[in-house]
Amino acid sequence: MSLNINNLTFKPTNEYHLNDITLNFKPGKMYTILGRTLSGKTTFLKTIAGLLTPDSGSINFEGNDFLSIPVWNRNIAMVYQQFINYPHLNVQENIEFPLKQRKMDPLLIQKEVSQAIKQVGLIGFESRKIQELSGGQQQRVALARSLAKKAKILLLDEPLVNLDYKLREGLREEFKKLFSGEEASQSILIYASTDPLEAMQLNGDIIVIDEGRILQSGSAKEVFENPSSAKVAEITNDPAMNINKGSIENGNLILNQDIKFPLPAHLKHMPSGKYLVGIRATDLHLDEQGFNFDVDISEISGSETFLHLHNDEVKCVATIEEVRTYEVNDRVKINFDLSKIYLFKESGELEHSPYKN
Amino acid sequence: MNFKHKYAFLLPGLIVLIGILIFPIIFTVRLSLSGWNSYNPELDFIGIKNYIRLFTEDPRFWQSFFRLSFLAITTVFLQYVIGFALAHVVWKDIKFKRFFRVLFLIPMMTTPVIMTVIWRTFFHESLGPLNDFLSIFGVQPPWLSSPGLAKVSIIVVEVWQWTSFMFLLLLAGLLSLPKEPFLAAAIDGASPFKKFIYVTFPLMAPISIGAIIIRLIEASKIMDTVFVLTSGGPGTATETSSFYIFIKGLREFQMGYAATASFTYLIVMIISLTIIAKVLTKVLMKE
Amino acid sequence: MPKLYTFIKYFCVILWACFVVAPFLWAISTSFKDFNSVTGGATYIPWLQFEPTLDGWSVLFKPGSQGGINIIGPYFNSIFVTVTASLISIVLGTLAAYALSRYTFKAGIVQNNDITFFFISQRIMPPVVLSIPFFLFLSSIGLLDSLAGLIIVYIVLLMPIAVWIMVDFFNRVPREIDETALIDGCNPFQAFFKVVLPNSIPGMIVAGLFCIIFGWIDFFFAFILTFTNVQLLPVKIVALNSSITPWWSLSAAALVSVAPLIIVAFIVERYLSKGNLSGALK
Repeated sequence: MSLNINNLTFKPTNEYHLNDITLNFKPGKMYTILGRTLSGKTTFLKTIAGLLTPDSGSINFEGNDFLSIPVWNRNIAMVYQQFINYPHLNVQENIEFPLKQRKMDPLLIQKEVSQAIKQVGLIGFESRKIQELSGGQQQRVALARSLAKKAKILLLDEPLVNLDYKLREGLREEFKKLFSGEEASQSILIYASTDPLEAMQLNGDIIVIDEGRILQSGSAKEVFENPSSAKVAEITNDPAMNINKGSIENGNLILNQDIKFPLPAHLKHMPSGKYLVGIRATDLHLDEQGFNFDVDISEISGSETFLHLHNDEVKCVATIEEVRTYEVNDRVKINFDLSKIYLFKESGELEHSPYKN
Repeated sequence: MNFKHKYAFLLPGLIVLIGILIFPIIFTVRLSLSGWNSYNPELDFIGIKNYIRLFTEDPRFWQSFFRLSFLAITTVFLQYVIGFALAHVVWKDIKFKRFFRVLFLIPMMTTPVIMTVIWRTFFHESLGPLNDFLSIFGVQPPWLSSPGLAKVSIIVVEVWQWTSFMFLLLLAGLLSLPKEPFLAAAIDGASPFKKFIYVTFPLMAPISIGAIIIRLIEASKIMDTVFVLTSGGPGTATETSSFYIFIKGLREFQMGYAATASFTYLIVMIISLTIIAKVLTKVLMKE
Repeated sequence: MPKLYTFIKYFCVILWACFVVAPFLWAISTSFKDFNSVTGGATYIPWLQFEPTLDGWSVLFKPGSQGGINIIGPYFNSIFVTVTASLISIVLGTLAAYALSRYTFKAGIVQNNDITFFFISQRIMPPVVLSIPFFLFLSSIGLLDSLAGLIIVYIVLLMPIAVWIMVDFFNRVPREIDETALIDGCNPFQAFFKVVLPNSIPGMIVAGLFCIIFGWIDFFFAFILTFTNVQLLPVKIVALNSSITPWWSLSAAALVSVAPLIIVAFIVERYLSKGNLSGALK
């Protein structure tokens, strides 16, 4: 019952949209494809759907070669980020559409449609026209249509990105509930997102993709604690993890002339040499005993302040848990939570994380 | 998305079009290489003699091109300016908006030939109302028998007929413009004049280009008006390329030569229109 | 300043309105005249300046044998040819436009835009250029002077318009709707007919209107390709335009022939206000 993808490559122009991707998906699990814009997420989903044909590679589902099956015969469902529904049909007809297409028994159709409408909380909306609905409601209709199909593979392409914040949070929780039900245990769920926080909240397996390549694949916890490379660490954190060049000499970790500190416990055994040093924005704190940094930008977001700082060539972003105003070129004192420092090889691979051993 | 089904969509129309066109096009080219005329109604082969004659011995053909360009460009320009002005006025705040809009649309819905027939009576030098009115001022211009005025008559009729089309395209364009830039201009306190120059006109640039090109394509085919109003006259004053080809082919029955002129005309038109399209796009899109 | 601007606005609009209406008024007035009223110099107002008669009008409905002109036959011929050719053009044109909008074609160096250009460039050809070959073409298949022959020729005239308008229209319908239909189990044909087409009615109506307008106003092809069996309205009327033209019946015939499209003008204006014509340009 699994979806096996082998060496999928798609290169329509001079750049790889998909570069030798090999993945396995099992039913009953939620997979989040996490990557920046234009990293290949949508291309990947569309290839699984059959809307795009890869240049090479294979897709096998339940033992069948998917690539020889046209879109309309693969039992899949897809929800887009733009609210896509059939404008000329009302809610009920929209959800019925795929079932009617399959020529299912009308009574059975009615049952499935009612259940789907209940699941997404749109009871009473059956005869409304799509244009009369709000964004969130339209997206629920799209979702209901996908659920009613009982498709074996459900593809979601950033479905919440065009909704406002509160709605997003609410719907995301509903998603998790919906897809932990027993019917969901029959399907494979693939959710594409650019937002690391969303990926963590969904708490499924995370597949990190960049420039068409899979960089890492594992549980949310695993990917968070042990990113396999500096690039993964950047993609899976928001704000991106601060990565700076540094070195270990004589038991000290040195970023530049000003910033030196003795090696933390988990890194004591590391040999001297050049490394890339990583630390999350949330692991930097204002501290009177800290190092001097100059403020480049100060962003207030909700109840936090993001400070973009530099000290010579060392650049970082710090998340301050309160709202404070700073001016450009203000001087602040910042300290690092040393127990949370990551060490990467100069080439980018993870050398040591705070969570290993 | 690339399914084999796409051919089923495209091919019926394409095949029908090519099917209907292929004979005429090939025949025209073949005809242009023959000397078919009323003394010699046969499809012989004389090579490119016709083309040589066209390019070296026939200034009348090329003059007709100049006349055509003059008429087409003048009429399209006038239609654009007037059409834009009218569209702009009935766009928003004016009484009887719908009445004026319908009224201004009517000319393009009329059959040009038929209206030209009426215009012919209108421009009639002794019995027509125009000269009757002008005789109050002591002038009775010879609208249809003077070379210069004949051109003016054609321009008047064409402008009457087709400004309406420009009006339609431009009004549709204006109605589709987003509101935000205008709100911004209002907040900035822009005068109506400034608003037009800096907001309306630039936003309408792509639509203006499209409308002008479409009208140029249609205007270059000017035939009905010339045929009825002046028959290309007086002399050759209003003889356009189409009319010249018509005379050569269907009046003098020099079919071969007419085919040559037709084919040459086609190539020249396609090249000029493509160039004009590219130039206009560059000029108007820069602002 | 605003007062002056308003004044100029209304002045120009009314001026142009007079210009638009002038030939119609003249034609209406003339249609009620007779020989003397016309030749004695220009006259305008009935009863004041001349005696109105209904000659010009009544003669339109009398068949030729009674000295009449009979435009009823040509009228219906025009309607039939225009509507049929428009329908065929819209059907074939919409299908082709859909393909050009959604799919990529590549035959050597020829691509989508080239194919679209090919369709639209048919409009560049003046009727004159095509008339002689079409004349010979139709006579060789025995369709000269027939309704069918004319319809075939009109398709060449009108399909480009349908394609031009519908390509632009389809480009503005999100592809994702097609894709969703495919995912929901439709093959490309079903996706088109069940989902895209029902949402394209406005575009097709616009295309239809333009096809009907440009089909109705054609003169030249009808002139060259028909004689006695089939006569279309414009040809009939121009045939009356000789030096001994009876101005009154001419004017009456002209007015009758342009009347139907005034209705079309109303329809077009309604669509304009609803904002459906807005994207017909590139």
